[in-house]
Amino acid sequence: MRLASNPDFRAGFAEMLPATLALAPFGLVCGVGAQAAGASLAGAIGLSAIVFSGAAQILAVQLLAAGAPLAVIVLTCFVAGLRFLIYSAAMAPYLRPLPPRWQKGLAFLLTDQAFAAAVRRFDAGGDARAAGAHFMGGGFALWSFWQVTNVAGYFAGNLIPAAWSLEFAVPLCFIALVAPHFRTSPTIVAALVAGAGVLALAWLPMKLNLIVAGVAGIVAGTLADFAKERWTAR
Amino acid sequence: MDGALKLWSIVAIVGVLNYLSRLSFIAIFARRHVPALLARAFRYVPAAMLTALVLPMVVATPGEPVSASAPKIAAAILAAAVAFFTRSTLKTLATGMLALWALQFAARAIG
Repeated sequence: MRLASNPDFRAGFAEMLPATLALAPFGLVCGVGAQAAGASLAGAIGLSAIVFSGAAQILAVQLLAAGAPLAVIVLTCFVAGLRFLIYSAAMAPYLRPLPPRWQKGLAFLLTDQAFAAAVRRFDAGGDARAAGAHFMGGGFALWSFWQVTNVAGYFAGNLIPAAWSLEFAVPLCFIALVAPHFRTSPTIVAALVAGAGVLALAWLPMKLNLIVAGVAGIVAGTLADFAKERWTAR
Repeated sequence: MDGALKLWSIVAIVGVLNYLSRLSFIAIFARRHVPALLARAFRYVPAAMLTALVLPMVVATPGEPVSASAPKIAAAILAAAVAFFTRSTLKTLATGMLALWALQFAARAIG
């Protein structure tokens, strides 16, 4: 395989290793969840290998265990994955010089962590193909370690002591992604409205509070953005 | 619906929807212009969706004792401060887990 000997692919793979380590507890928790929801090993691997999104996997297995209908599970996972649209829009200009085959492959590997690393690498400049190979290496590292930790969680889940509170690693991974955003007032408004909404509507069945509060937060952030623009234009 | 069939339906449908979301602007809408309102709304998707995802995992659901969520809330705030300043997933995770263990240990020692 030519890609494996490509120096940019190797560099991308190596630079992603600290992030794969940080995601290991999250992967374990996803594997534990799939096992607890009654998924077969093949089904658990299907989730981690094809869906390849921790947030969607956690929501899917929790809703599955709660007996939610298929339509609700699919809709909730889709809304939680709306952020991929943003990542896709942000990556599009960087990937435009690459062949369509590369674009389609890299899109599959577009996750929260891969996105953050790719933006840094592409912004550093240079040949788009080199940055693309770097992205491919990092994405491949994330994908392969994600499968290993998910399967490990599936088998070893009940060996992990509850006192370790390993499941707390999941919100921490998302806090690491969201907290650096809190630098502008509309972003803070979006988070406050979404956060207040999700807690106030916790009585809604089947995690519907996530969708309602998330959309309300997006609308609030957008309105705050318009208000801020008017204010500064005065 | 049969459990295995339901799970594989989730894998197939969510897998395809997730992939199409990831591919959307890279390939499908690559030549089209993003409407201004949509582009503006896009900026607030991560902050809103990720906050809505995180909070229920940290704050106790009604009926759960406050003592269970207080250490988690404190550890999450500390982790958020680390994330804000360092932007490092590994440092955020390490701070949050160590803070939670320390607070849970302290809570047991006191109570």
